[in-house]
Amino acid sequence: MSGNLLHRQPILRRPDGVGGALPALTLITLFFVVPVVALLLRSVTEPVPGLQNYAILFGDGTYARVFFNTFLVATVVTAVTVIVAFPVAWMLAIMPPALGSIVFGIIILSMWTNLLTRTYAWMVLLQRTGVINRTLMDIGLISEPLPLINNLTGVTIGMVYIMLPFMILPLVGTLRAIDPMTLRAAALCGASPFNAFRRILLPLSLPGIAAGGLMVFVMSLGYFVTPTLLGGTSNMMLAAMIAQMIQSLLNWGLGSAAAFILLLVTMALYALQLRLVGAKRMTGGI
Amino acid sequence: MLLDYDRLGWLRAALLGFTGLVAAFLLLPVVFIVLLSFGSSRWLAFPPPGWTLKWYAELFADPAWLEAALTSARIATMVAILAVVIGLLASFALVRGQFRGRNTLRGLLLTPMVLPVVVFAIAIYAFFLRIGLGGTTAGFVIAHTVLALPFAIIPITAALEGFDKSIEDAAIVCGASPFEAKLRVTLPAIKIGIFSAAIFAFLASWDEVVVAIFMASPTLQTLPVKIWGSLRQDLSPVIAAASSLLVLLTLSLMIVTALIRRKLSK
Repeated sequence: MSGNLLHRQPILRRPDGVGGALPALTLITLFFVVPVVALLLRSVTEPVPGLQNYAILFGDGTYARVFFNTFLVATVVTAVTVIVAFPVAWMLAIMPPALGSIVFGIIILSMWTNLLTRTYAWMVLLQRTGVINRTLMDIGLISEPLPLINNLTGVTIGMVYIMLPFMILPLVGTLRAIDPMTLRAAALCGASPFNAFRRILLPLSLPGIAAGGLMVFVMSLGYFVTPTLLGGTSNMMLAAMIAQMIQSLLNWGLGSAAAFILLLVTMALYALQLRLVGAKRMTGGI
Repeated sequence: MLLDYDRLGWLRAALLGFTGLVAAFLLLPVVFIVLLSFGSSRWLAFPPPGWTLKWYAELFADPAWLEAALTSARIATMVAILAVVIGLLASFALVRGQFRGRNTLRGLLLTPMVLPVVVFAIAIYAFFLRIGLGGTTAGFVIAHTVLALPFAIIPITAALEGFDKSIEDAAIVCGASPFEAKLRVTLPAIKIGIFSAAIFAFLASWDEVVVAIFMASPTLQTLPVKIWGSLRQDLSPVIAAASSLLVLLTLSLMIVTALIRRKLSK
């Protein structure tokens, strides 16, 4: 009857109240909710009240191209990241720990290294006269430098590099949670490795792939730094366009309308992701 | 046998090879930047024609770099302390509180992590311009604390969920006040979560670029703003030297984290 002592004193079971959350709630309300709502209001009040900012954004071919670029890059980055991350996560899930910890160390080092540092490295690596072009020319694969930077190719390479850890790490968790017995059973029943992969391993890891993929897609949509530095001015993406509208053009109405569209798409996809995996599992991934 | 490392056969060689390639891809920019910082070519030729320390000399000769690094360190330290304290208080309510809208509150407090930073950046920029906090240290700290708070709340709530509350109750039964029980029983038990929260919150501020670009003034620049400004001018090797020092810092942080985690979990 070890629990009896506590049961007789229900006062001890009194839960902590909402009080502790008040400082956090105040901070977020005052310095997050209020500024963001105020910004979004500007999109329908400046320069004059109405929806003209949205009409401009949806009516102009230049902006349509930015939206198209953004979704194209986010889609390609997500697809490539998933395809590259899956085999790595698969190996990491079953590798001997000694070997695995080296790979994990490299992933963490890459992830924790300053974002600008990594992007700077890619700016140098991908130049016309950079190491990658020089090497490819030296071994005779190409005769003149490939255009790897100031276009969407550069943005994609840089973004895949940044997103890979965010895909690999949660996927390892998903794959580790799969019981190896299911695959042994498949092999015993005569399934070829290909069939076992297609009918068991892949379907069982699909929730992890979907959750990670959505996260990468959402992050890519709103990314600012890498597209700005690797994409050049003629291949602008949404986040860079928003920043430019505010910072250089001082067009708050149009900029906040574009910000609202980005916010809406992001939040819709986030809600979808929460339904797919549940809030707890997703936020526990860190 | 796809999940048996020892029975994968030829597939294992293929997957290991691929994993090796990806690891090399992830390591490439980091190693490259360090090598480049010692190369003597101003135009970043690689392999470098010779080796030199002059970019480091140039870096240390310019007080603006050191000042930016100190500004970053100062802001990130304040952010880490604030985010951990506010996050710790909030975590108790989120994990143990029984009130309506608890999950909504959790979602709200974690939203800054999901919202595209650029949206928050221009929103807080406009707001601070209006209330006179633009370009101030206080403004930086507040904005970064908002962004860092989710990174503090997640590890602390995770640690708190794994802690058996009846141990804290036992301390109270034995005569401790509720506050004392929390301070001397619960906090030591979740110290790894708190430590992770501090590291993540520090990094969230230290590495933050987008809000910082909008918030910075000519007299108040964080390190990412300084790097961003230099990058937009040219690809000077001095940036490679600064970057290498940041890589060194990351490595030391990883090692210290691993050591402290090992020590704390004993």
